[in-house]
Parts: sequence; structure tokens; C-alpha cells
Amino acid sequence: MGTVQGGAEQVNIYSSAYSSASGIVRYALLAIPLVFLTVFFLLPLALTIVVSFWERAGFWMQPTFSLRAYQDFFGGPRLFLLRRGLSVAALVTALGLALAYPIAYFLCMHVRVKVSRTVLLLFTVPFVVNYIIRNFSWAYLLSRTGPINHALQALHLTRGPVDWLLFSDFSVLVGLVTSYMPFMIYPLWLALAGIDRGLIQASWMLGAPPLSTFLRITLPLSTPGIFAAIIFGFVGSFGESAVPIILGGLGYQLMGNTITSTLDVLNYPLAAAMSSIVVVVMLLFLGVWYLAFDVRAFLGKIVRWRY
Amino acid sequence: MRGGRALGTLAWSYLALTLSFLYLPLFPPFVFSLALPAGEPGGLGLRAYLELWRNPVLTGAIQTSLLVGLLTSVLTPPLALLAAMSVRELRAPRAVLLLLLMPLFIPGISMGLADAFLFRLLGIPPSLLTILIVHLLWALPFAFLIILTAMAGFDPVYLEAAYLHGAGRLRAFFDVELPLIAPGISGAATFTFILSLNETVRTGLVQGPWNTVQTYVWSTYLQVGLSPTIYALMSLLIALTVILILVIRPLLTRRSQRTASV
Repeated sequence: MGTVQGGAEQVNIYSSAYSSASGIVRYALLAIPLVFLTVFFLLPLALTIVVSFWERAGFWMQPTFSLRAYQDFFGGPRLFLLRRGLSVAALVTALGLALAYPIAYFLCMHVRVKVSRTVLLLFTVPFVVNYIIRNFSWAYLLSRTGPINHALQALHLTRGPVDWLLFSDFSVLVGLVTSYMPFMIYPLWLALAGIDRGLIQASWMLGAPPLSTFLRITLPLSTPGIFAAIIFGFVGSFGESAVPIILGGLGYQLMGNTITSTLDVLNYPLAAAMSSIVVVVMLLFLGVWYLAFDVRAFLGKIVRWRY
Repeated sequence: MRGGRALGTLAWSYLALTLSFLYLPLFPPFVFSLALPAGEPGGLGLRAYLELWRNPVLTGAIQTSLLVGLLTSVLTPPLALLAAMSVRELRAPRAVLLLLLMPLFIPGISMGLADAFLFRLLGIPPSLLTILIVHLLWALPFAFLIILTAMAGFDPVYLEAAYLHGAGRLRAFFDVELPLIAPGISGAATFTFILSLNETVRTGLVQGPWNTVQTYVWSTYLQVGLSPTIYALMSLLIALTVILILVIRPLLTRRSQRTASV
């Protein structure tokens, strides 16, 4: 990110004031969160991948190297999950992005900072309220006897109750989009807020119409945020486990709830293999994000990097 | 100019529509929690709310949730503060930043399963500790971002002033920086509590015999379906979440007053 004036001196006050014995203590303290994440996050993810090559044995597993779980998945009836999961995730992400980007853009470009912070907080509330509870509500709202069907009939838009509202691809889509869209706004807003307004003004002064300024300046500069939003929406809905149970109806399978039902029959290697597929999808996205963008750019607005 | 205003109105209407769509699911539980069992006449049904406290499994789950929530909200902010400082002071490589944000991107089921494998192989039985660890993991990136935001509003010139006056690093931190970023830290603590209170999927994989309110709701739904009592519980959870968000509103939307820049 853009260097802030006087960068060098400011680095000094952070990193060179004390560099002896107290320095060791300091580094040890600062390493605690990283150690915590390594032990309880990275290691377990690696373990999932290792376990996916084991074989089931009784109530637990036999350490070995076997491709059995992957053969089960890729050679069996569950393979459709991959295609359905990826297409549902792509659809949810596209819809979420289409809904969230205008919101982030409007808040960032046309609303005072104070007001936009309040509106962002309004989007936080439905995000933090347990999404399972919210999806229970959707199951009622979209049901045959729910208010939406009542309204449709009262307005004479349909003759009878509409059946495809619930336990369908449509309801799963509603549940996933409302679960993941609110949080997609934040990275978009952060990235947009980090754009140097001077560039937009320059484009305007050079006579570019608003649309081409948007397409050639604003949109490309907001890609780190777009990508972060995409990862959140895509990986989240690809591995989602509760929404298909609540809104998909009996037998509606996505990757996440199939992992749960595989655990119920104690097939841990298969569950691990499916979870590994989800993790690999996430790592692929994060890898592209990492290589294509400066991750710090995504936090451009909230951190003044001193380099 | 008029075109601009029309566009503004359109944009605000779109915002309002999206928000009402997102808020709509927050209301049905309240309505259902007041419903009376079929055939019972009259009166506002507050009975479901009274019945909550007579179910020992449920009161146990409430206690567990509050305890785990409190522990999460006490332990996460210091971890997040250290993480934010490591990003700032060690001039952390991008990989470190990526690691700190990663728990945001992984689906709950994969994270819960991964930790369940770890605990099983290490021989750690499911307990409050295992639930606490997955809650810490889930809450850490959010707390980290909130505290990082608070720290961005802090002008390091104050630290420099403290050093020039002979203060050590610790002294300067506790006397100068901490008080100035304290709103961000308490905001992070409350937000963390809210996240912990609303977590289901990760908890469900490491809970063992323990229940939190959310895993209780989920397993009841799967086993016998939802009842007015469960709706009452959900209503309380929604109300508590909204109230807590309102409480931390000033902490999250306003930056430290005494910042020289930004």
C-alpha cells in the first residue's frame, strides 16, 4: 500500500527501541496468536487431508495410505455433489456480489462516512444473528401456508399456493444468499474506500464519462475486495451444511450436509476426503488471492502500513 | 442535478429493500413463541418463556453458552491485540496476515471436523475446552479486524512522545496506547461474545455431551422439531444479539477522539 509520509522514522519507533532480552519476550508474546492458529487451525487442516487417506476400521480409522475414500467419492453416486456444489456456490456468489457491490459502492462514494458506518452496522445485525435461526424463519416465510404465499394469492398473482418457494433450489438459494451476502459488503466497502479519489477525479477531468471511469478505474482497483467477497461467498456456500437441511427438504444434498451424514455412519475417511475437497477449493482461491493481490491492499483503509 | 437526486432516492430505496429482506427472518420466532398450544383459549402466551427455565438440559445449555461466551470474549481480544501488534511491529509478511484471516473463509463444517480430528488424535475429550478453542478460532479474525481498525485511528506520535519522556515499551503501551484503543478492545470483546453465542456448526462437531443453546436448538430441530419453547429461546437470543450490537454501536462506529490524523 501507499507509503505514508515519514515511513522510515515511524518504523524505527516500533522495531528498534528495545532489541535485547526484552526483545525475546516481546517476540514470544507476539507469536502467541500465530502459534495458536498453527496448532489449532493449520495443523488440523493438514490432519484432515492426512486422515482422508486412512481406512475406516470399526468405530475409528486405520492409519495407512489408501485412496479408498477418494475412489468412493469420485467413483460413486456422490460425484454429482461436486457439480451441484460448485454451481450453487457460483450462483450464490454471483447473486451476492450483484446485490452487495452497489450497496458498498453507494455507501462509499455517495454517503457521508458517519452515515455509511451506521448503515454497515445495520447489515451486521442480520449477519451475526445465528443463520440457522434465520433459515428456520425462511422455511416458514416460504412455506405453502406462509405469508409470501398468502400475499401472492391475496393479490391474485397466483391461483393456488406456489410450491417451488420451499424445498427447492430456489429456497436454498434464498437461504444461502441471505446468509452470506451481508458479510460480502465489508471487503467490497474496504477496497472501495481505499481507492485514491484523486484517480477518479483525474479520470473525470480528462473527460471520461462516469461509466468508463467506473469500468477502467474504480472496478479494477476494487478487485482485491471483490476477490475477498467471492472467497467468502463461494467457499462458504460450497461447504454449507445447515441450509440444505432446513430449506432443501428431504434428501437435498450439498457438500456440507453430506459430510455430516457421512460422519453419522462413522465413515470418517470419506468425511475427511470431502472436507479436504472443500479445503482445497478454499486454498486454491486463497492462493490466487495471495498471488494476484497484495492482501494488505484489502485492509488499505483500516491500516496505515508503514514500509 | 434532478437526475442525481432521483438516483439517490433509487439507491436508498434499494438499501431499504435489501435491509428489510435481511431483517424479515428476525421476526417470526417472536410470533411463534407467543403461540398457545392448540385448543387453549385466551391470553398472551408467555408460557413458553417460563417453560424455558424448567428444562434442566436447557438451563445447562444456557449456562454453558454464557460461560463459553464470556471466556471467548475475555480471551479473544488479547490474542487479537497481539495479532494486530505482530502485524504492525514485525512488519508481518502477507502470509501472516493471510493466516490471521483464514478462519473467516473456511466453512464451519470443515473447521469443526478438522479440530475434532485433532482433539481425537491428541486424546483430548470433548469438553468446554474444545468448544472454547473452536469459538476462539472463529472469533479471532473478527476481533483482529476490529482492533486493527482501532489501532489505525491511533497516532504513533504519542508513543514516540512517551519514549522521549523515558517511558519503556510496556509503560508506553499501557499508559498511552491502551487507553486510546480501549473502545476498540471492548467493542471486540462484545462482538466476540455475540459470535460465540450464535455459533452452531463448529461447536456441533466438538461438543461431545455438552450443549450450548445453539446446538440445543439444532438438535431439537433435527430430533423432534421446533416448539414454542424453542421459538422463545430463539427470540431471546435474537433480542440479546440486537441489544448487544446497539450497546457496542458507539465503540465500532466512532474512532478515538484524540487522533491527530485519519
